[in-house]
Amino acid sequence: MKCVILAAGEGKRMHPLTYTRPKVMLPIANRPILELNLLNAKKAGLKHFIFVVGYKSEMVRNYFQDGKKWGVKIEYVNQGNALGTAHAIGMVEKFVDNFIVLCGDTIFGKQDIKKIVDKKNSIGLINIDNPREYGVVEIKKEKVIKIYEKMEKPISNVINAGIYHFEKQIFDFIKKTKKSLRGEYEITDSINMMVKNVVFKGVFLKEWRDVVYPWHLLDANEEMLKKSEKKIEGNIDINTMIKGDVSIGRNTHVMSGAYIEGPVLIGNNCKIGPNCYIRPFTTIGNNCHIGNACEVKNSIVMNNSNVPHQNYVGDSVIGENCNLGSGTKVANLRFDKKNISTIINGKKIDTKRRKLGVVMGDNIQTGINSTMDVGTILGHNVFIGPGANAKGNIEPNSRIL
Amino acid sequence: MCGIVGYNGFREANKVLIDCLKRLEYRGYDSAGIGVIGKKLQVFKEVGEISKLEEKIPSFEGDIGIGHTRWATHGAVTKENAHPQLSSNKKIALIHNGIIENFQKLKEDLEKKGVKFASQTDSEVIVQLINQNYTGNLRDAVINTIKQLKGSYAIVAACKEEPDILVGARNESPLVVGVGDNENFIASDISALLKYTNRVKYLDDGEICVLSKKDIKIFNKNTKEVTKEENIITWELKDAEKSGFPHFMLKEIFEQPDTINKALLGRVSEIDRSIRLHEKIEDLLNYDIKSIRILACGTSYYSGLVGKYLIEQLTDIPVIVELASEYRYFGTKSEDSLIIGVTQSGETADTLAALREAKNAGCRTLVITNVMGSTATRISDAYILTQSGPEIGVAATKTFTSQILILLLIAFKLASLKNKLGADELSKYIIHLKELPRKVREVLDNSDKILNIALELKNVDSVFFIGRGINYPLSLEGALKLKEISYIHAEGFAAGELKHGPFALLTQVTPVITIVTKDNTYDKMIANIGEVKARGPEVIAIAEENDSEIEKHADFVIRFPGQSNPLSCIPIIVILQLLAYHVANLRECSIDKPRNLAKSVTVE
Amino acid sequence: MKAVILAAGEGRRLRPFTETIPKVMLPVANKPVLEYVIDAVKNNGINEIVIVVGYKKEVIMEHFKNYKGAKITYVVQEKQLGTGHALLHAKSHIKDTFIILSGDNIIDNTSISKLIKDDSKYSILIKEHPNPSKYGAVFIEREKLREIVEKPREEVGKFISTGIYKLSKNIFDIIEELANEGIYDLSSTIQSIVDDGEKINTIVADLWRDIVYPWDLIHLNETMINRTPSIFGGTIEKGVTIKGDVSVGKDTTIYSGCYIVGPVIIGKGCEIGPNVCIFPSTTIGNNSVIQPFSQVGNTVIMNDSRIGSCSVIKNSVIGRGCIIENNFSSIDGSSTIEIEGEFKKLEKIGSMIGEDCNIESNVIVKPGKIIGRKCNISSLKIIDDNIPSNSKVM
Repeated sequence: MKCVILAAGEGKRMHPLTYTRPKVMLPIANRPILELNLLNAKKAGLKHFIFVVGYKSEMVRNYFQDGKKWGVKIEYVNQGNALGTAHAIGMVEKFVDNFIVLCGDTIFGKQDIKKIVDKKNSIGLINIDNPREYGVVEIKKEKVIKIYEKMEKPISNVINAGIYHFEKQIFDFIKKTKKSLRGEYEITDSINMMVKNVVFKGVFLKEWRDVVYPWHLLDANEEMLKKSEKKIEGNIDINTMIKGDVSIGRNTHVMSGAYIEGPVLIGNNCKIGPNCYIRPFTTIGNNCHIGNACEVKNSIVMNNSNVPHQNYVGDSVIGENCNLGSGTKVANLRFDKKNISTIINGKKIDTKRRKLGVVMGDNIQTGINSTMDVGTILGHNVFIGPGANAKGNIEPNSRIL
Repeated sequence: MCGIVGYNGFREANKVLIDCLKRLEYRGYDSAGIGVIGKKLQVFKEVGEISKLEEKIPSFEGDIGIGHTRWATHGAVTKENAHPQLSSNKKIALIHNGIIENFQKLKEDLEKKGVKFASQTDSEVIVQLINQNYTGNLRDAVINTIKQLKGSYAIVAACKEEPDILVGARNESPLVVGVGDNENFIASDISALLKYTNRVKYLDDGEICVLSKKDIKIFNKNTKEVTKEENIITWELKDAEKSGFPHFMLKEIFEQPDTINKALLGRVSEIDRSIRLHEKIEDLLNYDIKSIRILACGTSYYSGLVGKYLIEQLTDIPVIVELASEYRYFGTKSEDSLIIGVTQSGETADTLAALREAKNAGCRTLVITNVMGSTATRISDAYILTQSGPEIGVAATKTFTSQILILLLIAFKLASLKNKLGADELSKYIIHLKELPRKVREVLDNSDKILNIALELKNVDSVFFIGRGINYPLSLEGALKLKEISYIHAEGFAAGELKHGPFALLTQVTPVITIVTKDNTYDKMIANIGEVKARGPEVIAIAEENDSEIEKHADFVIRFPGQSNPLSCIPIIVILQLLAYHVANLRECSIDKPRNLAKSVTVE
Repeated sequence: MKAVILAAGEGRRLRPFTETIPKVMLPVANKPVLEYVIDAVKNNGINEIVIVVGYKKEVIMEHFKNYKGAKITYVVQEKQLGTGHALLHAKSHIKDTFIILSGDNIIDNTSISKLIKDDSKYSILIKEHPNPSKYGAVFIEREKLREIVEKPREEVGKFISTGIYKLSKNIFDIIEELANEGIYDLSSTIQSIVDDGEKINTIVADLWRDIVYPWDLIHLNETMINRTPSIFGGTIEKGVTIKGDVSVGKDTTIYSGCYIVGPVIIGKGCEIGPNVCIFPSTTIGNNSVIQPFSQVGNTVIMNDSRIGSCSVIKNSVIGRGCIIENNFSSIDGSSTIEIEGEFKKLEKIGSMIGEDCNIESNVIVKPGKIIGRKCNISSLKIIDDNIPSNSKVM
């Protein structure tokens, strides 16, 4: 049985991180979300995958290739225009019989995937606290009656988790599906048509994590790190302190005076220290440099980025190929200790977090002693000059001097 | 030149092919055709535009096929001459872009062997040859066939007996392969494929490719397989629409206040009093340039001529403007010359060839183009985009003015680097530059006045355009625009040259359009007008708004706003564009798609 | 459901700003008014829109091509005879219940949402207004429309029609009937069906704003600019102080020493020269230059303009492409302005200057003056009168 993973979306609410990568390639604990799903699906017994790609598809292809590295087979289908979930799923008709579909940007657990695999014509369901932003599912004794669009007053807390087990007949309904109000072909509309003739069952999942805004990556990262095991490869100098669950990758050199409090994950080929302080729930990618007198806390630093000299980075997400100049610091707490709001895609959003540093895209350069206010968003290729202060939302390719 | 496309995958071939062909229509539109292999090989062709084909084509089943849109080079426009061309036994179908120079001899040889030809095209010769060479392997048949061909071609062949593959080959005409998932594409240019895939592989001359559903194999002429890099195309295609204007050309003329701003955006600072070009370009310009050669064709050649006046006036560097088709064979390629290629599409065959020659000789090359990712941007050391958006009207309008502006920016930059232009002077020029959109809007507001003058030209057989200095190339462009879209014979002359021959052509019924700017050429131009009027014809003068003298000499006056200065060339050009447009419209000519012309000439 | 938007009108009272663009394309917080209307409709899930165009239609069609994937159909109303007449042009595209809106009134998502969700066959969005005599005043009985009177002479209660309705397609027959009698406005058609016994449900709109006069551009700008948050593009030099919500477009440079207090929107490709002060509720279009030591507050400056050094501009509108030399003063004060025979008294108003004007140095424009487009004013003039378009003041 093949597993179709929808991986075509841009993930606009993840800007600026998704200006330069598709949403499914965002890293959690140093692995793209799509890879987490791939591994869990493999453990659930699935070996043959079809990725429906679109936005920046080459990044997905370059990373996963034919799947040999994971012992699975991966094929690709290019969705082209983003016309909705039904359109995406419809593209694989010629290539599947009974099949599983899951949304590549939501994290599913291996046991849940197995449950869906074992039940024909099923949909994954999950109970959540704030169902308003999702599709609520009306069920009667396991049978799906209707899937609703986002409701102002949700009728229950049961939502569509975004994982399905379909038989070939779904394609007949996909062909009949009309464009929804927002101009897309939605698989939920196809399902609503199908349930009139076919019994479609809801299966409750135990694990489920959705990431919508950049700071959600910090939450997902935290959860992932709590589950991970300690594995130290690299070279660790003496006079370093490593406490708790800390993983350190191959060829990474941890120099004297480094104080690492787990759970922390550090990738391969990194230079850590001397005399740096890495605090819990921090993930450092590959080929990074966390240097002397730097403190990094509860943050994600992606591949090839440097926090090299006298920096403080807290509750932040740093993209790839970034370089912080000496003395660059990030503010992550308001003086009045209120929730931090930030601006994504021109809309002011309350992050509901008391602590949030900076979210920066790729290729950022900052000058010496530059500073970033709480909740600052930096688009890719931004340059912050020496001594400059960055705040608010800064568009890609801009300069703050 | 024509547009070709091939598809091999899982979607319905005829839908994909028609979709791609629509994007290639700008290349040629006198006839179109599609061939699809499903249970059998079916071909459908129709004279006229692709929309006609779309209406009439029956539904073909099949997921592999080839498609073609034709701009006739050999043979009249008929269904028989349209592509795909079939071999006599209807086994092999072929589409072709290019010109086979020795097709006549090959045709005779085949006829002697008993082959019956259904069309007058050189393309049919290719498919018949492939058929003759076919012994069960399409790829080998194609390889053996191209050995016999002399000339340019981009071909894609399909064979009934090998319904899983398409074979393509290229020599001098462009051919690009689009890499998909479980499907592959091949086409004349990237714009045809972008909707379906952004991964492309470029074929080089002499190469052959075999497209199956899951992979692409590329071979050189020795049948050795070559590996090609996959390129990701990052630019997007934006659809252009007429937006309420009766013609794309009129819309594009009216877009110029906007496109002028776009050409200058981020490159001109009033406060800093400086011109900012990309680092790569500033490096390229910052050396001891002994001379500059501008290589171009058609309207771009004229923008080069305007550029020559501007650059020489500001920098004292000698500028030679060369027709690309001549330069590639006969031009002097010296290392210390800076080569500037000007090509709207970035794909003009002659200009590309000329640039390659120059590069091989060790020259520094800079290209001015409107299309990101075009071949020109890839083969030159640096490029500057005009950023005008797609130009659909075949006659160039907004891209012409933008090209001149970029040449002007280069002139300013060079002058500053050589300390020939101080910050104060540059500041004045920058203010004039920023006022250009306003001046153009003023001209556009007076479109009706120009329409009245156009009435005078509606029924004439021949028109002259004259000017001196920078106005001479403007005369050439004015004449070209009028010719292109109204089909009236028009010629531009340097005013001083009239008396050395062309005067003989003047009659009472050849109106003369004179560009008269109040500078050191003014008195001589007035004298020229006198000479012309003495022979009878009507004189229409394009003069500045403060020129009160001109009415005494010319029969009609069209005013351009502001005082005469080198940048007046821009509003003057807009006047000439509108004049040509109105005349063509009065004569009910097909303005966006003039007869016999196609945008972006990729045949030589 | 489809939406029909009427966008054919010229907007004579908004001259000189409507001499080159239609009323619906006037910018409010750097977005054409029509864009707010289309967004309100689109954000409520309506993707198929019919726009009735007329005056200067190319400006509209060019701006909205490929707009966010919406399917927009244009119908041309050759002669502007009235709102009902305009709607009639959309008839062949409407097969069902639809909503109709005016392209020149700003409306928000929630109001449209209420209108769509309402179950009645016909409904109308109404709004409280202090001065109903200029609009279609509505009389309500038990939440249903009883009477709608255009520009009533007498004292009339407090609600007016926003011109936004949800209608069944049967309305077209009635419009045609009335058109045959020479009645072309939509309000009469509505009155007619009310008289015939139809129940039209009235719903109160949240945000609804009309632009009628040139100074409305300033007031509307003030209202809508608050919804635009801070985004920085381009280059912000050292020593620039930015307070509050300020949006700076791509390729714009804010030079040292500038003091910008939001809400302020600055477009793309601008140069805001060293030491310029920009005060709240100011919107600056694209490609504009403000030279050093100038002060701009509560003002709308459109694209391609230049403001010379040491100028002071408050509560004003500067049209596209204006070139204003140094020491220009357009200070606010109270003024009584005449527009098409009506007199309006305003407490705080600067000047309103049309497109492509050339104003030389040291010119003072008194409060409330309207200068047409393409005017030339030479140095040291004090402008105390309205100046018609294409004039020269020597």
